[in-house]
Amino acid sequence: MIPLTYYLILSTIVFTIGLYGIMTQRNGVRLLMSVELMLNAANINLVAFSSHNNDMSGQVFTLFSIALAAAEAAIGFAILLSIYRMRDMIDVDNINLLRW
Amino acid sequence: MANYMLLAPELVLTLVALAIMLAGLFFGPNNKNILGYVAGVGLFAALCLTIGGLTVNETLFYGTMTIDALSQFFKIVFISVSLLVTIASIKYTEGNKNADEFFTLLLFSTIGMMVVASANDLITLFVGFELASLSTYALAGFEKNNPKSMEAALKYFIIGSLSSALMLFGISFVYGMTGTTSIPGIAENAGALASSPIGLIAVVMLIAGFGFKMALVPFHMWAPDTYQGAPTVISALLAAGSKKMGFVAAFRVFVVALALLSPNWQTAFAILAVITMTLGNVVAISQTSVKRMLAYSSVAQAGYIAIAFAVMTPMALTGGVLYTLSHAFMKTGAFLVVAVVGYMVVSDNKNAKDIDHLDNFKGLAKRMPLTAFAMMVFVFALSGIPPTAGYMSKFILFSSTIESGLVWLAVIAILNSALSLYYYARIVKYMYFLPASGGKISEPKPYAVAIILALAGVLIIGIWPEPFVYWAMEAAKVLMV
Repeated sequence: MIPLTYYLILSTIVFTIGLYGIMTQRNGVRLLMSVELMLNAANINLVAFSSHNNDMSGQVFTLFSIALAAAEAAIGFAILLSIYRMRDMIDVDNINLLRW
Repeated sequence: MANYMLLAPELVLTLVALAIMLAGLFFGPNNKNILGYVAGVGLFAALCLTIGGLTVNETLFYGTMTIDALSQFFKIVFISVSLLVTIASIKYTEGNKNADEFFTLLLFSTIGMMVVASANDLITLFVGFELASLSTYALAGFEKNNPKSMEAALKYFIIGSLSSALMLFGISFVYGMTGTTSIPGIAENAGALASSPIGLIAVVMLIAGFGFKMALVPFHMWAPDTYQGAPTVISALLAAGSKKMGFVAAFRVFVVALALLSPNWQTAFAILAVITMTLGNVVAISQTSVKRMLAYSSVAQAGYIAIAFAVMTPMALTGGVLYTLSHAFMKTGAFLVVAVVGYMVVSDNKNAKDIDHLDNFKGLAKRMPLTAFAMMVFVFALSGIPPTAGYMSKFILFSSTIESGLVWLAVIAILNSALSLYYYARIVKYMYFLPASGGKISEPKPYAVAIILALAGVLIIGIWPEPFVYWAMEAAKVLMV
């Protein structure tokens, strides 16, 4: 059996890649991908802890969070699509009408 | 057998939302107005049902949902905000072919917030949180041909989904160390979490996740942009409803479940409260858009409420809970006034730009006396002048802070309130002492009704606070078990 620590290291790496992507990427779709990575890192954690604790609720939680991530992606792409129709690009650096 | 009647408010709202969505298929754009009234009636029924079950204290569905004083209190906050927004939106969505979607999403987001209020399990809490967030992402981008509205939606969506990812990551550690997702269960097993560095990571992730929703500095960047760009009625919903959802979730998770780790997060909340209110008030001073100014003032108000976490005495929690109720009325009212002014500007000149600019408030007292008076009460309530709701809640919150020995925190908060008076008084000056640029016009009825209701809420809580304070105390007792 793979020790719990390995899963936690994997999830931390995936989470960090996602966080790094959020901070550096400027393309809307890539930002969405980065968020999905972060959510999946949490899912890895939940499943790993679930099997480690011999408790099913972590896996149930993962099913919920996968469904929610899909809904979130649908809304996100809908928003990106209407922005693309309006401006022909989804580079978030150029979406800057609202500033202080 | 669980008593499903306790969930009647949620069930009524779900049925009404689905009915509106279906009915929208058969109605033409000119007949969709009636759907707004249906949504309003549904919300009113839910409000009555919630008030009817005020004293219940039960758990449902194997302890995943709880109906107690705290949940009922926040449900009433959410339903009232949603009701005010719905009444005003009847005018806003007039003749819009997507009015049915608008009201459906509005009701779904309210249901999400209500689920969060009664969540007794992290899974329920997360699902409710996402239901409310996903609906409001779409609502913020409701004007899909308006670049500002879409930009608001995009910024809100990216930051919002980042915050749910952070929250979920934090929750996964809490679950891993305690072996349960039930909030009372976590409180029992929090020892393992407190003695391990993972507990600290989890607390940081959760503060960040909830902090984005509550718009605490440094997690506030999205709030001014979104509140400014989104349709004004939706800004009211976000500032008054969605933000309170962050607070009720944080009350449940930090004060109940992670109470054992309070040394870790109390100082963090004290520091966050100080930066939040200071930055919010200082930046609000230099704004020329009233919507953006209200957004920054809303950030500052979140800072005041966050004091409740830093102090965490029963009295401070009472103040924090009461503050969420008063803030809901003050902020909804203020944003609805901005919506009326926007309506007035557009009816003067169809191609007007910057309809939320401060200059449009010049001489408002002569053009729309009722709206101007209401706005004056709202801004004075926001700055904490008696006899308004804002004064009572600030008084309880700050005096409990002094009692508990955190005098420096109370002093900073009071100085901040004084600072905020500058930009609030400026609006009053523009409305009452500068010349008007047009004749008198009457407010559209739905807006007028919503504003009068919000005004009544602010004044009633301010003039006759005893029942509300008592009620907030009952709610705070749930947290101090």
